[in-house]
This record gives sequence, structure tokens and C-alpha cells, in this order.
Amino acid sequence: MDQFLQALVSGLLLGGFYAVMALGLSVIWGVMGVINLAHGEFLMIGAYMAWGLFRFFGLDPFASLLLILPLMFLVGYLLQIILINRIVERPYLMALLVTFGVSIALANTFKILFTSDPRNVPVVYNGSMQLVGITFPIVKTIIFFVALLSMICLQIFLQRSRLGKSIRATAQNKNAARIVGVDINRVYAITAGLCIALTAAAGAMISPTQAIFPFMGPPFTLKAFTITALGGLGRIPGALLGGIILGITEILVSTYVQGIGTNLGIVTSFALLVLILVLRPQGLLGGLRPLDAEAE
Amino acid sequence: MIADTTEQPLLEGRNVSKYFGGLAAVNNVDFAVCPGEIVGLVGPNGSGKTTLFDCLSRLQKIDSGQILFKGQDVTRARPYQIARMGLARTFQVIRVYRKMTVLKNMLISHQWKDRSILRMLQPSHVNTERRARELLDFLQIAHLTDAQAGHLSGGQRRLLEIGMALMPDPDIMLLDEATSGVNPTLIETIKDRLRVLNAQGKTFLLIEHNINFIVDLCSRVYVLNHGEKLAEGTPQEIIENEAVIDAYFGS
Amino acid sequence: MIAKVRRLPRFFGAWVGLTLWLLLMLLLALYPYTGVSSLTLFVGSQVFVLVTLASNWNLIGGLTGYVDFGHAVFFGIGAYVMGILVTHLPLLISPEWSFWQALPISGVAAAVFALLIGLPTLRLKGPYFSIAMLGTFVVTREIVRVLRPLTGGGSGLSLPPILNRLGDYYLMLGVMGLVVAIIWWIHRSEFGQSLIAIREDEIGAEMRGINTTLHKIVAFMIAAFFTGIVGGFWAWQNTVIDPDVVFIEARTVEMVMMSMLGGLGTVWGPPLGAVIIYFLQDVVWGNLFGVHLLVLGVLLVLLALFLPEGILGALEDRSSTSIGRLLGRVTSRGRN
Repeated sequence: MDQFLQALVSGLLLGGFYAVMALGLSVIWGVMGVINLAHGEFLMIGAYMAWGLFRFFGLDPFASLLLILPLMFLVGYLLQIILINRIVERPYLMALLVTFGVSIALANTFKILFTSDPRNVPVVYNGSMQLVGITFPIVKTIIFFVALLSMICLQIFLQRSRLGKSIRATAQNKNAARIVGVDINRVYAITAGLCIALTAAAGAMISPTQAIFPFMGPPFTLKAFTITALGGLGRIPGALLGGIILGITEILVSTYVQGIGTNLGIVTSFALLVLILVLRPQGLLGGLRPLDAEAE
Repeated sequence: MIADTTEQPLLEGRNVSKYFGGLAAVNNVDFAVCPGEIVGLVGPNGSGKTTLFDCLSRLQKIDSGQILFKGQDVTRARPYQIARMGLARTFQVIRVYRKMTVLKNMLISHQWKDRSILRMLQPSHVNTERRARELLDFLQIAHLTDAQAGHLSGGQRRLLEIGMALMPDPDIMLLDEATSGVNPTLIETIKDRLRVLNAQGKTFLLIEHNINFIVDLCSRVYVLNHGEKLAEGTPQEIIENEAVIDAYFGS
Repeated sequence: MIAKVRRLPRFFGAWVGLTLWLLLMLLLALYPYTGVSSLTLFVGSQVFVLVTLASNWNLIGGLTGYVDFGHAVFFGIGAYVMGILVTHLPLLISPEWSFWQALPISGVAAAVFALLIGLPTLRLKGPYFSIAMLGTFVVTREIVRVLRPLTGGGSGLSLPPILNRLGDYYLMLGVMGLVVAIIWWIHRSEFGQSLIAIREDEIGAEMRGINTTLHKIVAFMIAAFFTGIVGGFWAWQNTVIDPDVVFIEARTVEMVMMSMLGGLGTVWGPPLGAVIIYFLQDVVWGNLFGVHLLVLGVLLVLLALFLPEGILGALEDRSSTSIGRLLGRVTSRGRN
């Protein structure tokens, strides 16, 4: 029973991280219909930035968020203006190919710059504490609450601010939004900036608990995709729910299935993904776009 | 008014229902189309006509009821199976293979007539090509034979789609708004061609908003409203039916 | 008035294409008799491998329109089946014999895997399929890493080193010749035209009597079979296999790149793309260590932006791409 409770708590904590990690993919997909296959690479960049700041300036990964967020917002904004805006209106295949190309190029740039040796960020508080018989890893607990906080902020931003409203309007119907005077390209660029900043922040936060190497991205992309399939496009509560489902499933599987090991979390995630896509192509909560957008 | 019961219907639906979430898109609809008829299916936008078509051609699973084609239960058939039994349809949003030429579009719509492995491994047969050219001629789009389907105008694409549906020589054709977005001259062409085909023994089920088209062609009409069958009868009866007029022009 | 599709010269149509291809095969078969170095033979077999891979990917990604971002998984399966059979089974007569026995099995294993994985994934449309295959690829690599007793885990397997450059050359020449001829045949057959119909409009194809599931699975299995064969061959030639050299994204990227450069869904595009990429890489960026994939990634982005139809596609339909329009302007100026 204790083991089960422990697994639930660990899964919940992991789920909070997963949610904030997946949001970038989910929102970009929801707003502009582009599946960003380079998603994991932006997380990798965030992790490397946190590592660099820690290694050379002794900056704490959570403090470095203040630097990483604006910087990566700029990166996302520029990337969108230079590259992605050109392909948003094209068939989905082009967007897939472009982001796939970006993902390969980024991962290999980092391999050339930093070699493929794994790096880590050994923060001093990387321990755990006991509370009513359950172990709470400190870093993961902090991540959970920071993730929750950032999701609440994002939710308020999207619901209340004028810019947030234009983003939601664009997501629902870009032509209508364009007609009422929303500058679509600017909205896209801001969305991309926000999402990529958030993703990099997730990478920076996870850096103390995870080996950092150039090819760490794809599993995260895949997990983000699973979470989006679970929770729906661009929905923050959905991402949280999807993240927690995935987190708990992963931990439960690695706790109770002998010999599978934590490295195979990706297998669990993938099995879950294929299961959802095959059984419910519209996503678990019906939040995915219709597969055949032209149909109706 | 009940369909002629002495003859076995070609296509029949019994208590067909389809729900989207809690909304009944098609609710308990009964209908029958007998061989040689031209039957119209009308109703306001969103009344479930296209959904009913999708159910009949098996693109949508129905939630309850039964669909019979040529006396066989096809409620669980796959779309390609019911197509091979002799049902062809066109779509409200035109579906042609945009990057293929008009001729290739026609050829490929025929290929399953003979589906032995040997046949599949060869290019289309000369006879198939002859039939395709004849049909294009019949539909008066022969001059477009080598054009890319994606470059055609809406009306021309409608005609091509009808041609593709005709390629395998089906027993019944379901035409979904064959006249929408088509100019009046072309509508006359379509009307004329359908008449010729009907005289040759083809059965039609049409979704239409063009009332003249219905009145000129159909022997019977079903009216759907909010997924339910509101009325059925001859076009004249339907035009004079109070409930139908209410449904169209609102209360 | 509707513009007729501009076509390549008739030259490339009908049987001429295949005849030219067989002629090229004959020339390449005679080539070693001119007394070439073993390095040339090695380069030759590498190019043949790439052409075969690109053509195979094109069958599912270009012709059928199911963009497979994990096709390297079949390469990996082929390589590992070869490795496992050669190292774990008692050798019959000689290592060469076990190679010849294992090679078809590599292909069959990949095809069976394609069947198993295709049944669920080919039901997914568009981007969902791409992601599912990317997932299959990543997951298979992890599983191979874990199945230590069979696959040697992270340290991999070693095959007996038997050097036969001439044999490699002819084997891969044969496989390449066969694969391209098969693709050529499929492209003109009703089967291939049905695949294109599925790419253009799957629902329409199904509604017009094409058993889309069967078509997709068969195409997928053919593509997987030959990719598995190439994987098996590669394992034999390379003698050392481990998850990190066999299951690399690069393999898929190369397949996608080469097909796209030449022209998706065309018969001769992917082979052309493969040859161009190989020699570009050799001449331009081969000497810069480790940038191969970086360049490929950037090229992929540029291609998708400026030449999405590929070289042959742009020649065929000049109005749809910027480079195509440029080409069209240049040639029409010459005419005026």
C-alpha cells in the first residue's frame, strides 16, 4: 500500500513537470496547426543553458529561468517570423518536414558544440525529504509547484488579457480573427515565443535530475505528443490531466512490472499513445483536430 | 405515402440512428429506394442529410438500426465492400484526386471491377480507358481529359466526380448536392445526363437544395428535419406540405 | 482555359524508363571489369544502398503519402536479425553460407514487423502516423538495448569480418536494380495508382472500392522487406552493430531527404536524390567532421521551403514552386 501511495505521489510530481513540458507543443499545435517535431530540442537547449549558467556562473537552475525565459522567447519569436510563418498555411507535411529538419539540425549543432558526453547540474539540494512515510524528491517537488504556478499564470493570461484573447480567437478561426483585425503573424510569433520559452524553462528545471545530452529531445517530443493526445490541443487543464495520467502510468508500470526499468518509460508512453490514437482518434477528451479537416 | 411494397427495395434503411455526443444527427429514419427510381432527399441545412449519406455508404457507423442493400444486411460492411456491391456516391465537398489527370482519376475509380492480383499488377486495361473516354464524352468534359484534376473548376469537378462514380457501372448512385456551385448551363447538363442514365436503369438518391431540380427529376422525395423524417411523397405533395414549408422558412 | 500538365519528355514514359535503367544496370555490372580499386567498389555499394533505401521510403512516404519518420526501424530489425542469426546459430558450412541464409530472413522479419506495427499505425492519418512511426523507432531502440541476451544490449554484436568488396558491389547492385524496377512497375500498375489515389484522398479511394487497408499494408511490407534486406547487408558489411550505430535518426533523415530532393512519389526522383546527396556530401561537407546531419537538417528545411516537389516534380509542374517557376522562366525565355 505504501508502495502504491509512493508511486501515486511520484507520478503526480512527474505529471506536473510533464504538463508544463507538453504545453508548448500542445499550444503551438492548437493555435497554428503545426506539430513541432523540434519540441524536445528546445527543451534540450533550455537544459544546456541551465547547465552553462550553473557551470560557469554558479547560477541556480531555477534562478536562471529569469534569463532563459526572455532569451528563448526571443528565439521562438524570431524562428516563427523567419521560418514557421512561411509554412503555416502549407500542407501539414511541409510543417512536419521543416520542424523535423530543425530538430535534426539543432541536436547536431549541440553535438558539435558540446560533444555527446552527458552533462549534469549537481545542485546541493538534490536530495529528498520524508513526509508521512512518503519520499518527496526536493527538486521534483519544486518543479511541480513552479509548473503549477506557470500554468495558472498562462491560463490567466490567455483568459483575461487582450493578447491572450487574440491568441484564442486565432486558434478557433484564424480567418475570422484576421477579419476582425488580429495581426495573425504577430499572434503566431508571440505564441511560438511563449511556448518555446516555456519548453526551455521545463528543460532548465529538469536539468538537476536528468543527464543532459544533445539527443535527449525526441523522447520528450513523443511524451508531449502523448500528453496532447490525452488532454487535447492547447488546453491547460487538459495538459495537466494528461501529464498526470502519463506520469502516474509510467511510475506505476516501472514500480510493478519487473525488469522494465525507468529507462523504458518511453515504451509505456508510446503504448499509451498508440492505444489512444487507435481507439479514439479524436483524442481521449475529444480535443484533437479532426483527422480529415476538409471533411466538413 | 408508402413506397411500392410489391418490389424489393434496392437500398433500405430501417430505424437508422446516428448520434454525435448527445445530439441525434439522424433519428430513427426509415426509407427505401426501389430499382429505377430517382428519390430526392431534402431538408434545411443541418438536418442530417449528408450524415445519412455517410451512414448509407458506411463512412459513419450507425448507432442503431439496419441498412440493407440488394436485400443483404450491410450495416457492418466496410465502405469499399459496399462500393463493390454496386453503390457509388459523390461528396458535398468534392473528392477528386487532385494531382492526377482527369483520365487517371477515371481509370482508378474503375480498377476494382476485376481485382485479381494479376490485374492489379498491370496498368489499366484498354477497355477501361475506352469506357473512361466514353464517359468523359457523355458528361461533356472530354476536352479536359489530360488536365490535372486540381486545376478544374468546381462545376467541372462535380461532373468528373459523377463520371468517377459511373466508372464501375454502379446500380445506385448517391449524389450529394450535385448542383451546388455549378452554373445554370451545367446544371441543365447534369439534369439531362441523369435522365439518360435513369432511362438506362440507374437508380439515384439525391440530396438537393435546388427545388426545380427535384421537381423535374424525382418521383419521390423524403424530407428530413432535425434528423427526423418529416414527410415523404411526390415532389408536388412535398411542395404543398405545411410542415415542410414551416421547417424551411421557420416559424 | 485549363493548362495541361507539363510533362517530362515522353522519353521517361512507358517502357523506355525501364530499358534505360536495365542498360545502366548492365553498365554498372561491367564497370568492375575495367579494373577499379576496392575503394571504388565500396563507394559503389554505399551509393546502391542509399538508392535502395530512398526508393523504398518513397514507396510508403511518397507514393502512398504516409510520411514515415521511423523507417530506419526496419533497417535496424534487418541488421539485428542478421547479427543474431549469424552469431547465435551454428554456422552452416561457412560464414558466407549463413549470410546467404540470413539475408532473406532479415527482409522477412522486417516485413512481418511492418505487418504487426502497420495494422495499428496505418489506421492513423497524416501527422499521427508520422509520430507513431517515430515512436516505434525510439521504442524499438530502447527494447533492443534491454534485450541483452539476444542483442548484446548497448555493446552490440560482432559478426565475422569477411571482406568481399566485389561481392558486396554485385549484391547491392542486384538489390538496387530489383527495387527500382519493382517501384517502376508498381508506379504504372493499378496497384500503384491506387496507392496514389490513397495519398490524394483516402476516403474517396475507399468509397470508390479500393481496400485501402490492404493496399497500405502491402506497400508498407514491401518497403520494409527491402529495407530489412539492406539492413542485413549493412550489418554484414559493417561487422559491428549496436543500437547507436544501427538505430540512428540519420538513416531516416537521409531517406526522407533523398526522396524529397529528387521528387516525392516519382520513380526516378529518389535514386537521383540519393546520388546527388551522396556525392555532395563526399565533395562538399564530407571532410568537416560531424556536420553531415547538421547539413542534412538545414537542407531538409530549405527543400521543404523552396523545392517541396523535388527536382523532377519541379520540372514536371513548373508553376507550383519558386524554383520551378524560375526554371520555367529561363526555358521559356530561350524559346521566345
